[in-house]
Amino acid sequence: MKEKIIDKGHYQERAVDPDAIRVVSGEHRRLCLTPTGDLSFVLEKDAELELCLVMMPVEPMEIKLRVDFAGEGAKASLSGFYICRDAGVKLSVEVLHRVGGCTSRQLFNGIVAGSAKSAFDGRITVAPDAQGSKAFQENHNLLLSALAWADTRPQLEIYADDVECSHGATVGKLNEDELFYMRSRGIPESEARVLQMISFLAPVLASVPEEQRESLTENVEKAVRNL
Amino acid sequence: MDSLEEKVLIQNITEQEYKEGFVTDVEQVYIPKGLNEDIIRTISSLKEEPQWLLDFRLDAFRKWQRMEEPQWGHLDMPKIDYQDIIYYAAPKKDADRPKEIDPALEETFEKLGIPLHERNALAGVAVDAVFDSVSVKTTFRETLAEKGIIFCSFSEAVKEYPELVRKYLASVVPAGDNYFAALNSAVFSDGSFCYIPKGVKCPMDLSSYFRINASGTGQFERTLIVADEGSQLSYMEGCTAPMRDENQLHAAVVEIIVEKDADVKYSTVQNWYPGDAEGRGGILNLVTKRGICKGSGSHLSWTQVETGSAITWKYPSTILKGDYSSSEFYSVAVTNNCQQADTGTKMIHIGRGTKSRIVSKGISAGRSQNSYRGLVRINPDAEGARNYSQCDSLLIGSHCGAHTFPLIQSHCPSATVEHEATTSKISEDQLFYCNQRGIGPEDAVGLIVNGYAREVLSRLPMEFAVEAQKLLQVSLEGSVG
Repeated sequence: MKEKIIDKGHYQERAVDPDAIRVVSGEHRRLCLTPTGDLSFVLEKDAELELCLVMMPVEPMEIKLRVDFAGEGAKASLSGFYICRDAGVKLSVEVLHRVGGCTSRQLFNGIVAGSAKSAFDGRITVAPDAQGSKAFQENHNLLLSALAWADTRPQLEIYADDVECSHGATVGKLNEDELFYMRSRGIPESEARVLQMISFLAPVLASVPEEQRESLTENVEKAVRNL
Repeated sequence: MDSLEEKVLIQNITEQEYKEGFVTDVEQVYIPKGLNEDIIRTISSLKEEPQWLLDFRLDAFRKWQRMEEPQWGHLDMPKIDYQDIIYYAAPKKDADRPKEIDPALEETFEKLGIPLHERNALAGVAVDAVFDSVSVKTTFRETLAEKGIIFCSFSEAVKEYPELVRKYLASVVPAGDNYFAALNSAVFSDGSFCYIPKGVKCPMDLSSYFRINASGTGQFERTLIVADEGSQLSYMEGCTAPMRDENQLHAAVVEIIVEKDADVKYSTVQNWYPGDAEGRGGILNLVTKRGICKGSGSHLSWTQVETGSAITWKYPSTILKGDYSSSEFYSVAVTNNCQQADTGTKMIHIGRGTKSRIVSKGISAGRSQNSYRGLVRINPDAEGARNYSQCDSLLIGSHCGAHTFPLIQSHCPSATVEHEATTSKISEDQLFYCNQRGIGPEDAVGLIVNGYAREVLSRLPMEFAVEAQKLLQVSLEGSVG
């Protein structure tokens, strides 16, 4: 039985996750990984986190990512991509601005093909008095087949006024004009599509640490070619 | 502005701001408090309804009894005692003058700016005026009838056009659709009915005006609009209620059927009593509005300006069934003091090449909570469907909240869905610029808000746009200091 959540219409205090990975004051942490389970981070004063999630599932994947801002001036840049063919991805990202003056950026792009289903559930919460918070969130999806599904639910819960928050979400297809342009210049259709998909994921790949980027890009190309 | 000055200002405004808060002293007929099958039978017999409609009500009531009040809204909802509400209240008819309306009622609507005399009426607007549980007058009926347009109260429609009502009633919002729609289906009292025949362009704007007057009652009206092939209609809805310390329930259902190539524009200016500055009283506005674009090429447009109500729970939606049909949703929701709003829309794309556009502007001030909640769903067969949504929130003051809960479900690879949202406060620079040029803080906020909401306000019919702009100004008075 799922626990029934009753929304009271006002800010609800939540405890800091005791098992969370702490990024201590002044630390700058960069991570790029394939998540195997839930992830939780707490950012202390002036801490910085750059996280990139790589998801190319063989089996259905369900990942929860939580980031708590516990100290002022902290920054988090969260990104990730998913390439799904048979197995779907369920990704939920929860960012909580408990204190003011923190910045969070999110960029999650996904390609959904075959009979896969993807679900993105993101929530940014800015607590009362967390003034000067900046939070941005983007989720873009490409649907490649008639059986594929993409759901996205980007949410904002803002209880302070001096904030800058935005989110954007799209679900769409490969651009036909681009495809036509490439084909008219002699690039075969299948190759053009691969190029388009790689460029769709490029903004996320740019955030991957350099030492991992090359091998990861190769893997991505392989995966995209198999779609 | 110092705090004392601010306090005085806020006080003045809360005392005078809701000018529609008066009570009309007319003799009224009530039925006893409470809700059970006997009450429903009483309402039905008072309205001299046919058996099929009574059966419909009872069926809805039985469904309602098995349902639970929804809890998913981002709302702090007071407990509603459904047995403590009077479900039917109507002004007494004078035995000597059964045909005429009570001068007191006429005066009431006059005061609200809704003249019931056709010669005084706003040029080009026909009104159906609903007072508590009954419709007191529908203007321009005859003029409209010449074109074959039916525009009358729901009760009259049941008597005069039973086949039409029976065919379309609950075809868009089924009796068991949700908790409040089921309650409405069981106890609905009056409302408006409108039918535009094939190929007719309605020569004037039609409108309903809802007024709650009696205390301890709820208003449960039902509006049914049918636009037949190739017809065109612009419909407006307005509402007000007296100031009272208790909450009053308003659970309405609006159903719109848009046939092939027809075009319907539905505009609402909602100004129910919002409660006082401490959050006492106010209307609980729990409304189900839904339209269906049934035929190909049909079009439905929703425009709403929500400034009143203690609680607003309302999601005007469109089912885009016909191929190449389109729909729009434009909304401005303002909350101040302790008001709460959870409002938005649903766009269900079923037909090929369907298009929808959502523009929502939320403004929260005081200690209010303002949420946008929306669903865009693209079914697998909706090839080439297109949606664009934009939801902006504006925060005024540090104790209010603005929230966005959109859900996008795309099941069709050739569809394109885009959503974007922003949340911010009025920038100091904008305010400074205005102040510098001699525009006071209050007026400056009004100016900025009007500019912010312009995209939506410009969609309203002219008479409404003027009223809506004034309302925005009044609703936000006292919110800056």
